[in-house]
Amino acid sequence: MDFKEDKFMIALAMGIVLLVISQAVFFLIRAIKRAKKLGIEKATIKNTIVSSSLFTIAPAIGIVATVLTLSAGLGYVLPWIRLTVIGNISYEVTAATNAIEAYGLSGGIANEITNPEVFATIAWVMTLGSIMPLILIPILLKKVQSKIGKTVSKNNAWASVMSAAAFIGLIAAFVARAIAGKGEASIRGDGAGILSVAALVFSVVLMLIFQKLANAKKWKWLESFSMPFSMIGAMGLVMLLAQVLPQNIAFLEWRG
Amino acid sequence: MNSEYINKTHKYGKIWMVVTLLIFLAIPLLISSHLGVTPKLEMIGKGLATVALVFYPTAVLEVLTYSPLLGTGGTYLGFVTGNITNLKLPVALSAMESAKVKPNSEEGEVISTISIAVSSIVTTVIIAVCVLAFLPVLHNITDPNSAFAPAFQQVTPALFGALCASYLAKHWKISILPIAVLTLILIFKGTLGTGVLIPIGVVVSLAGAHIMFKKGIVK
Repeated sequence: MDFKEDKFMIALAMGIVLLVISQAVFFLIRAIKRAKKLGIEKATIKNTIVSSSLFTIAPAIGIVATVLTLSAGLGYVLPWIRLTVIGNISYEVTAATNAIEAYGLSGGIANEITNPEVFATIAWVMTLGSIMPLILIPILLKKVQSKIGKTVSKNNAWASVMSAAAFIGLIAAFVARAIAGKGEASIRGDGAGILSVAALVFSVVLMLIFQKLANAKKWKWLESFSMPFSMIGAMGLVMLLAQVLPQNIAFLEWRG
Repeated sequence: MNSEYINKTHKYGKIWMVVTLLIFLAIPLLISSHLGVTPKLEMIGKGLATVALVFYPTAVLEVLTYSPLLGTGGTYLGFVTGNITNLKLPVALSAMESAKVKPNSEEGEVISTISIAVSSIVTTVIIAVCVLAFLPVLHNITDPNSAFAPAFQQVTPALFGALCASYLAKHWKISILPIAVLTLILIFKGTLGTGVLIPIGVVVSLAGAHIMFKKGIVK
């Protein structure tokens, strides 16, 4: 059996899955209990759980696609472990490629790793390169939060504008990339073009329609689900557009 | 905010973080011992050098930028499971918007934590089930030539479009500046990733909002 996908590796991955789920369940139960004490309605809590699950499905399948990308070289278990804890595609690919190149091997993660020492080195580099947040957060988080707390109590009106502005700054980065971000010339669909702008526009339009509908028909449930529905609907429309439009127009990327 | 709940969240969060860190470090150790190999420090150092140069400062920036947005419980959880910008943050934002709670309130804190916890569980389960049971089928779905591929390639704009609509409707005055500045930056340096663009966007947005707030343009 391939050492990258043997029983030991799968058991290791299952252990990590158990750890992550236990931690999430622990925080989930605490937060639900607190929400009830704060008087947040049961329906709001339930809607938060269901809509967050729906919202997660498509991006999670996108993460599985990353596991597949990395699996050509590393097998599927190590990428599975890595993307379950502090995972992120750009980091994982860079770390794995650098570790492979340290051995003077070319081709990066596209070529299957057959040498156990190289494989273990990759695991070390991927791990050590991404542990920083786990060290920083226990040290910094309380201080950062207390500074924010002071700002909030000093000026509540500004704190409210400030938090909206911070979110908008984050959203702006993704909107701008969909409009003008450059991708790899060899990869189809990673740069700004017809499909990225279409996804953005479809999603905005669907969201506005769902919000109007929810208000007009007084459908409270739709308010909670308008975001995941808009996202999934926009993805469906993009798929359709890619089928209907001529290939050279559908996959046109003005920034490569 | 109730300091007792938050203080306990910090306490439990720190314990979970230390446990995760130890288990996380045990993974390569166990793999090396299982395979009967001792990777050379020199090779690990070589591979790590360039990665650390980029990702260690980014980690500091990420913790400072995202933790105020994720809330206390959300930060401890979100940074363990990762995929913050493309999943945890939008999920938390969407949940707080739908529940009509303010991010800097205790209601915002618990709704953000619930959404990030649920998202972490769903992501972990989906990855595990897909990898163990549906790997051959998934190859067909995520293959660059499949009919589904364009949809999955555009999952991020689809996700942020919905969030953008919601925020633009309420805060269009402060939204224009960061979107315009970042688009302009990308026209000149199109390869900049979101890791660099987000801190710039947050700073530009905060600065613009501060001026508008002082001048009474936004309240």
